[in-house]
Amino acid sequence: MPFDRKPLRAYIMSACLRTPGALGMPHFCLRKVLIWAAVSLPWSAPSFAQHDHSSGDFEVFVAAEAFHGTGQTHAGDADPWIDADVVFGLTKHQFRVFGEYYITPDERDLERFQMGFEFVPETVLWLGRFHQPASAWNTEHHHGQYLQTDITRPYIERWEDENGIIPQHITGALFESRQSLGQEGAIQISAGAGAAPALADGALDPISLIDDNPGRHRLSVTARFAYLPQYTGASSTGLLFGHDNLSVSSARTVAVLQSNDAKVSLYGAYTDWTAEPWRIVAAYYYLDVQLAQAARNESFMSGYLQVERQLPGQFTVFGRLEDSARMQESRYVALFQDNDGDIEIALRRQAVGVRWDFNRHQALTFEISHIVSLIQKSNELRAQWSAAFP
Amino acid sequence: MERGISVKKIAATAVLVALLAAAAPVLAADELVLIVSADSKVEQLDSHEVRKLFLGLTVIHNGDRLRPVLNETDDRVKEIFLQNVVSMSETTYDRSVLRLALIQGQVKPTAYKDIALLKKAVMADATAVSYAWEKDVVHDPRIKILRVLWYD
Repeated sequence: MPFDRKPLRAYIMSACLRTPGALGMPHFCLRKVLIWAAVSLPWSAPSFAQHDHSSGDFEVFVAAEAFHGTGQTHAGDADPWIDADVVFGLTKHQFRVFGEYYITPDERDLERFQMGFEFVPETVLWLGRFHQPASAWNTEHHHGQYLQTDITRPYIERWEDENGIIPQHITGALFESRQSLGQEGAIQISAGAGAAPALADGALDPISLIDDNPGRHRLSVTARFAYLPQYTGASSTGLLFGHDNLSVSSARTVAVLQSNDAKVSLYGAYTDWTAEPWRIVAAYYYLDVQLAQAARNESFMSGYLQVERQLPGQFTVFGRLEDSARMQESRYVALFQDNDGDIEIALRRQAVGVRWDFNRHQALTFEISHIVSLIQKSNELRAQWSAAFP
Repeated sequence: MERGISVKKIAATAVLVALLAAAAPVLAADELVLIVSADSKVEQLDSHEVRKLFLGLTVIHNGDRLRPVLNETDDRVKEIFLQNVVSMSETTYDRSVLRLALIQGQVKPTAYKDIALLKKAVMADATAVSYAWEKDVVHDPRIKILRVLWYD
């Protein structure tokens, strides 16, 4: 029996007509549009290929963590005792659908959901919710712990629901392209534009594909320009840019900022270089916060350097230094400190650890770190088991 | 006269031994070959394209997206694939493929541990590309050998 798509489309279109649109308007119908497009994909006309071939796959990245921190009453939002990151992808001709669903005891969220069209090999235009390309760390590791050598991510790279201060989840369009350069190298361009998170009470609030959205989302433009020494390799180095217009919703936030909106501009550079057995990951961000009604704007800097060394027996040792400048003077940064018993904003951190890949797709990691935060100093100890299935 | 015959015999024996010695490596050679279905429109893939394909990147020929099929029928073929095709350790290759799955939802290559099933998969899909010992595929008209990837 053929699949009749008309009722579904009619339902979705009527739902769209009943509700206003995105970018500042409440209750838009984005997720219905995404569902419609995903449902339509398998029936799309194959005009460009003779073989009606599609393929799909999914991976589950699981991690369990034990945490102890001095001077902290509980583990932070970034340290769930267990989490699972389900990644699924479907490719049919030049169309792609891709999603990432993240689950912890306190959170279930469709972190990414993207539908793409690959114009030429490795040049894709995506629509949906994506991780902004100006984050050196998150575009490489996303929410999956297993592929991250260490346990923690640098504070400046934290997600919005972990009191992260840089908008990370954007809903809109993302263009990605990798093109050959010279005999072996490549350049990689990623550029995204869409709806930025809103600045709610003490946290950035990105568009949710599952829950209702109160609206208030304004424009985000982000980009990355990178050089890859090998087209097929993982090493890259490049420049980062982001500009997010954040609307401010709560009275407390308006009072602290003395502004009803904030324009956050990011300029950065990064390198992620592997020369086995060594790997170096470094990033530097300069952030400028423009406030509408304030007497002066703000700017601050943050960066990190991580060095990893593989050892015999599937062991890897790593160390990371994080540092910042002028973050403690920023009213924008102070918004994200909620004094709930864990550390939200770190000014500096030194971390060292060891990872043991004891089995195929399974690893044990230990990490100790010393943190200087906005309000205290702390030492932390973490142990983690991480795996990828199947 | 006796001595002349003896010299000729020795020379002939030496030539025969030399010929056999030269032929022996060829007869006993192991060759890993790149294969596609006999119905495939692919006539050749260079090393860079093969590496891209098995690392999960997009390779298109005549409008068709090619699909990599991993041969894990024995440890030696796996080792040769890692050393000579993708030039990576097993751990690094695993992580590279997982990384692409995490970053863009790229589909991981399908792996077969049984040569009959692998051949069946390649024959059934004109976009499939795999590799196998030459002796396993050379007499099968439904399989097309593109080139030798490695020989001993």
